[in-house]
Amino acid sequence: MRKFLAVLKREYIQRVRARMFIVSTILLPLVMSLFGIVPAVILSIDAGGPMRVAVVDQTGKIYTRLEQELVSDEQQPTDQSEPMRTGPDMPGRAFLLQQVAAVGPDAGEQRQQLEARLRNKEIDGYLILPPDFMRHGKAEFFNNNPGDVLTRRILQQALNRAVREQRLIEAKVDSETRQGLFQPVEMQSVKIGASGEERDSGGSFILVFGVGFIMYLAILMYGQIILGAVIEEKETRIAEILFSSVKPFTLMMGKLVGVSLVALTQLAIWATAFSAFALYGVNLLESRGLKASIPGIPFAHYVYFALFFLLGYFIYATIYALVGSMVTTTQEGGQLAMPIILILVVSFYLFLPVSRSPDSSFSFWVSMIPFSAPVAMLVRIVTQTPPFWQIALSLLIGFATVVSIMWIASRIYRVGMLMYGKRASIPEALRWARQA
Amino acid sequence: MTRGITVQLNRVSKSFGDFTAVKDLSLTVRAGRVFGLLGPNGAGKTTTIRMIVNITAPDSGKIELFGGQINAALQDRIGYLPEERGLYRRMKVVDQLRFFAELKNVHGKNVEAKIDEWLARVKLSEWKYKRSMELSKGMQQKIQFLTAVLHDPDLLILDEPFSGLDPINVELLKEIVLDLKRAGKTIIFSTHQMEVAEKICDDICLLNRSQKVFAGSLREIKSSFGRNSVAVRCEGGDGVLDDPALVSKLVRHADEAQALLAEGADAQVLLRRLIDSGAKIGRFEMVEPSLNDIFITKVTENA
Repeated sequence: MRKFLAVLKREYIQRVRARMFIVSTILLPLVMSLFGIVPAVILSIDAGGPMRVAVVDQTGKIYTRLEQELVSDEQQPTDQSEPMRTGPDMPGRAFLLQQVAAVGPDAGEQRQQLEARLRNKEIDGYLILPPDFMRHGKAEFFNNNPGDVLTRRILQQALNRAVREQRLIEAKVDSETRQGLFQPVEMQSVKIGASGEERDSGGSFILVFGVGFIMYLAILMYGQIILGAVIEEKETRIAEILFSSVKPFTLMMGKLVGVSLVALTQLAIWATAFSAFALYGVNLLESRGLKASIPGIPFAHYVYFALFFLLGYFIYATIYALVGSMVTTTQEGGQLAMPIILILVVSFYLFLPVSRSPDSSFSFWVSMIPFSAPVAMLVRIVTQTPPFWQIALSLLIGFATVVSIMWIASRIYRVGMLMYGKRASIPEALRWARQA
Repeated sequence: MTRGITVQLNRVSKSFGDFTAVKDLSLTVRAGRVFGLLGPNGAGKTTTIRMIVNITAPDSGKIELFGGQINAALQDRIGYLPEERGLYRRMKVVDQLRFFAELKNVHGKNVEAKIDEWLARVKLSEWKYKRSMELSKGMQQKIQFLTAVLHDPDLLILDEPFSGLDPINVELLKEIVLDLKRAGKTIIFSTHQMEVAEKICDDICLLNRSQKVFAGSLREIKSSFGRNSVAVRCEGGDGVLDDPALVSKLVRHADEAQALLAEGADAQVLLRRLIDSGAKIGRFEMVEPSLNDIFITKVTENA
C-alpha cells in the first residue's frame, strides 16, 4: 500500500508541478471567456455612429410607427415568430431617421435628390415606401453599404412589425387583443414520478448531458496522458528497476490513480472558474431584468453524477492503460487508441434511444454494459429512476471491469518488459496475460 | 538468515516459449562475498538474476533467499541495478532517489541525510537539485547505482555496473562495492568483462548457453588450471616463442607477451632457448591463467 502511495504521489506531484499543467489550467478558462466576451465586444463596437436613413413614406401611415419600433424597443427581444439569430446582446447600428415629405406619386426627382445626398454622405441610406406598400409590402432601400446585412435586417424587421400593427389597426383590432395575439407561449416540462410526485427534470437532463460531455473531454485529454505515463518507464528503461521493488499491478494502479487525480484537480479548478463565471452571468442577466436560475436537482442525483462520471472516466482510462501496456512508444499507442474514441462516441449517442424509452430492456442492457453504462444509467436515473439494485449492479460491473482490465494490463506490461521492447500483437498480448 | 548462505538456486529452469533461457541451474551465493555471474551475452545471466529478484518466476526448481522462499517483502532487502536502466528525465536527482527509497519501504527524515551522504560519496553533491536530463551519462549511471544501494540492502545485485564508465569512476564504484562487502553485504556481480570480475570476485559461476559451465571460488578455479602460462618481456627471440613444440598459444600485448606452454613443454627449456637465441630478457615469470583465458578456453571447449 505504501508503495502504491509512493507511485501515486510521484505521478501526481511531477505532473501538477509541470509547466504544461499550470499553463493549460490557467489558459483554458481564459480562452473560453475570451471566446465568450470578445465577439460581443466586437459586435458592439459602433464604428460609424448611428445610421442616418431618410424615409420617404408615400403611404403616410408607417413612418411614426417605424420610428417607434426602432427607437423604443431597441433592446427588446425581437419578434418571437421570426427569431433573429443575433439576439438582443448583439445590436446592429442605431438608427437616426428623418422623414422626407413625399412629393407626388412619381418620385423620380426626389430620388435624384436623395442620391445626391447619399453621395455627399449627408445620409447613409434612404427608404422608399410606395403608396401601395400596405398591400404589397414591397419597400425599396438604397444604401452605400450593401454588405451590412445585420443593419438591413433590423430595419426590415422593425418595418415588418410596424406594418403588421398598422394592418391590425386598419382591421379594427383593439390594442389589448393586439398585445394578446403576440403573447409568446411558454411550455413547462413536468415529470410524473412513480410515486406521483411532480418535479422538473429538465435541469437534471441538461446536467446528464453536461456530465457525459465533460467525461468525454476528460478522456480525450487524459487518455493520452495515461497512455504516456504507462509507457514512460519503458521508454526511460526504468521498468526493470521498479519491478524489483513493486508489483506491476501496484505500479499500474498507482499511475492510473495518480494521473486521474491530476485530471480531477484540473477539472475542479476549471469547474470553480466556470461556476464563478456562470454565477456572474446569472447575476448580470438578473440585473437586466431577465430571469435565469440554476436548475434545482435532487441531492441523490449529484451523488450519482459523481459516481458514474468517475466510473465512466476510469473505464476508458484503463483501456488507455491497456493499450500502453502493449506498445513501446507513444506514437504507436496513439494509433492503437483510435478505436477507443469510436466506442466512446457511439456509447455517448446511445443516450438518445435510452432517453426515449428508459424502461425498455434495451436501456437495461445498455446501462449494464460497462462502456455505455455511465451515460445510459444517468439518463435512466433522471428520467425514470430504475430500482436501486440496478444502479448498484451497474456500478459493480463497471468497477470489476476497471480492476480486471488493470490486472490484464499489468500482466501484459510485465511480460512485454521481459521480452525487451517488443510490441505485442493482440493474440500475443492475450498469451502473455495468461502465461505471466 | 541462514548463516553463510544468501541465495540458493536448486535445479532452476526457465524458458520463454521455445527458447530455454536457464536450464537446470544450481548455485550457492555465500554471505559476505562477491559472487561473479559470468558468461557471454545471452548465456542466461539476466534471466537468472530476474528470478532471484522475483521479477519472473522459474518454471521449475527452487530459489531460496536469506534462507526462505522468495517473496515481495524480501525484495526490500535486495538492491538491484539492472543492465537495462534509466532515470526519470524530468525529475530532480533528490526526488528521484527518495522515490526509489520509498519503493523499498524506506521513509522518513533520515532518507535525506542518506541521500546527501551517498551523493557526496560519488561526488555529485552539487547536482542534488538538478533534473537528471541535465546530467552526463556517467553521472546518471552513478545515480542509478545509488538507487540500488540507498536503502542499505543485504544483497546487492549489479548487472554490468561499470559498462560505459571512465576508469576513475570505475575505480570509485569498485571501492564502494568492496566497502559494502567489508560491511558484510553479499554482492552478485554479473558481467562479461573478465578483467573487472577477476579483481573483485571471490566466487564465480560461469554460464554458457543457459547452463552452468563451472562454479567455485576464483582461487580454486585458477589453481586448478595450473601455472602453465609464462609472461615474457624480451627483445628478439621471436622464433623461439613461435615454436609450436614449446608454446601452444601466444598473445602479444604492447610490450609483453603471454605464452601458454604446449603440453609436456618445460618452462626451463623455453628460458634456455630464449637465452641461447640471444634475446634480452626483461621479464620471465610463471603466471596463473587470467580469468579471460579460462573463460575463452571453457566457452570454446563447451561449444
